[in-house]
Amino acid sequence: MQTIIDIKDATYKYKGARNNSLMGVSMQVKKGETILLCGASGSGKTTLIRLINGLIPHYYNGELQGSICVKEKDVSKTPLYNLAGTVGTVFQNPRSQFFSVDTDGEIVFGPENIGIAPKEILKRKDNIIEQMKLNKLMGRNLFELSGGQKQRIACASVAALLPEIILLDEPSSNLDLQSISELGKITRKWKEQGKTVIISEHRLWYVKDFVDRVIYMKDGVIANEWAGERFKKLGEKEIRKLKLRPLLLNEKFSNILCFKSGQKSFKRMEETDSIILKDFYFSYKRKPYIFRKKKFTQSDGEHLNLCVQNLAIPKGKIIGVIGSNGMGKSTFLRCICGLEKDCTGVIKTDGMVYKGRARIPVSYMVMQDVNHQLFTDSVKEEVLLSMKEKDEERCYCILESLGLLEYKDTHPMALSGGQKQRVAIASAVAAGASLLLFDEPTSGLDYSHMEKVGDLLKQLAAMGKTVLVSTHDPELIERCCEYLLCVNNGKVEYV
Amino acid sequence: MTVRLDPRTKLYMIFVVSAVVMMSATNSLLWALRIVVTILPIAFLIMEKYYASALRFLILYVTALGITFTCLSEKSTGFFMAFLLGYCSIIVQFLPAMITAWYVLRTTKIDEFICVMQKMHMPDGITISLAVVMRFFPTIKEEYTSIRDAMKMREIMLGTGNVIKMVEYRIIPLMFSCVNIGDELSAAAITRGLGEKVKRTSVVELKMKVYDYLLVILFSVVLIVYVVFRNVK
Repeated sequence: MQTIIDIKDATYKYKGARNNSLMGVSMQVKKGETILLCGASGSGKTTLIRLINGLIPHYYNGELQGSICVKEKDVSKTPLYNLAGTVGTVFQNPRSQFFSVDTDGEIVFGPENIGIAPKEILKRKDNIIEQMKLNKLMGRNLFELSGGQKQRIACASVAALLPEIILLDEPSSNLDLQSISELGKITRKWKEQGKTVIISEHRLWYVKDFVDRVIYMKDGVIANEWAGERFKKLGEKEIRKLKLRPLLLNEKFSNILCFKSGQKSFKRMEETDSIILKDFYFSYKRKPYIFRKKKFTQSDGEHLNLCVQNLAIPKGKIIGVIGSNGMGKSTFLRCICGLEKDCTGVIKTDGMVYKGRARIPVSYMVMQDVNHQLFTDSVKEEVLLSMKEKDEERCYCILESLGLLEYKDTHPMALSGGQKQRVAIASAVAAGASLLLFDEPTSGLDYSHMEKVGDLLKQLAAMGKTVLVSTHDPELIERCCEYLLCVNNGKVEYV
Repeated sequence: MTVRLDPRTKLYMIFVVSAVVMMSATNSLLWALRIVVTILPIAFLIMEKYYASALRFLILYVTALGITFTCLSEKSTGFFMAFLLGYCSIIVQFLPAMITAWYVLRTTKIDEFICVMQKMHMPDGITISLAVVMRFFPTIKEEYTSIRDAMKMREIMLGTGNVIKMVEYRIIPLMFSCVNIGDELSAAAITRGLGEKVKRTSVVELKMKVYDYLLVILFSVVLIVYVVFRNVK
């Protein structure tokens, strides 16, 4: 079989970085092979992908040694647009890989760029729509699609260029379980079509069955390599040792996450000490009242995006919130912390009743993209900003407990993702919130980072905080959630 | 009936309306024309099913217009009147341009836009950067909404403290995320062949229809009338 990608002794250092991201990596890929790249974050997976699609050295600055050949062309001497018809890349973040605003425009964008005749483009587009069953998504605004739908469009727009090599850089990070299996089907189809596929991924369960070869990266080198069949048979212990996410989805959780059966294996509500949420109703489709907004009630029935009549949340526990994308998890969290003004629910805790704006200080949400909630120029300022009475002593205490004291004068944006998350938590603790909400805190994290988040949540629960965490991550649920709430079409129930 | 205008007509509309709002209306004919070029984009908004915003623009414009004509004259004095006058004249003067721009942005697809610019033989650099700007508006809106939510949660609101700080808190995270998204976006775009030397093709077929020509003629007349009145005096 013909070698299609040939990397020889590649060493790469990003501009301004202290260490090399890749150190002497050599690898050959045969035509039609499917390869899985795994390893911790920062081990060089993304850098390797960028070497193959030419973003290194053409887009990112840095020092590159060694040679990379794709289809017998030297990547460093081939302009990026010449690679466009050969190598296609699906990126991690569904939000930032679109050039168009509508789905149709996005699929034809690539072929238009490389100057293919309009008739041929339309033929390809129809083919792809049929192959990937995208009929329902056509003619829609991309900004209104869910993460999973966006990622499917991204795959389609890459496939429209008919590349021989397709690279996927952690494509499942922001997806729910169903969308991930959907993505798995697409990749498998590409393999059947004889394309060369390279997937960089933390979640192994959906790719392990069809990859030919697995490459394990560690600190910028290829630390290990298995044939697909061998890798599948690795035991749980070995996988754990490699700090990878498990090969198999825990069945109990995957069933719950996919709503396959009504298993009730989690603890039921029995505690008496709890936070009560009462009359949380909300709908995005507002009825057309021009002068006075309508108050939502249970009688709105089908129109409601959230319908919670009475829900008790056990105090000081970690509660997982699950459900597919678009079922109302985020709406649920947003309503609890008072972000949706039109939701007139009441929070009862410790004999106090919080209504309207008074709900805001009770709870605090750590958003999926923490960058949105860090405003000041130092970690200390950030925490002090949340305090009504500025108390430096207490601020240091909080920073200490979250292991952030040494960064107290650092700019929050200069921290790593996990540290930023902890700064956001620190400011929540400083504000005195007793109910902490997390919106998918582990999306895109590798196993060890996920463990850290899990431990952090436990620490918060031990401090007496009640933690609600919305997640698609079965491993996180297994690690720390004591109760599980399932959101389905706006209805919230314990499972 | 739906009338989908050719993007070229839309661009021409923007051009004419922006020129018109820069010139003052001195007699009733000019006022009438000015109102016509405001009502037209509102009508198109209704045709494209943007009822709510069309209504909002209409109410805003009619109110401001009404106040300017009925309540205000050269004799009005006092702080309130001065304030009202300033407010209304800004709206009456510049809202037409805003409505048109809003209409064009909302109803033009990015590929249509790129196609038009190519037909007009614009350099690719300009076309692509303008296209990116169009793509970025909804992103900025999304990011801004999340940041506003985050501020709400921490009860940092305008009016509770230092105004400059409040603005800073909004702008800095916004800039950070826009730079990040922009960076990833361009990486994704160039791996899909943006910037290729061969001529870009387009699946969009542009054709000027009868109403396009009619509109172009109408707007040209408006422009000519304004220019003539301005220079004749």
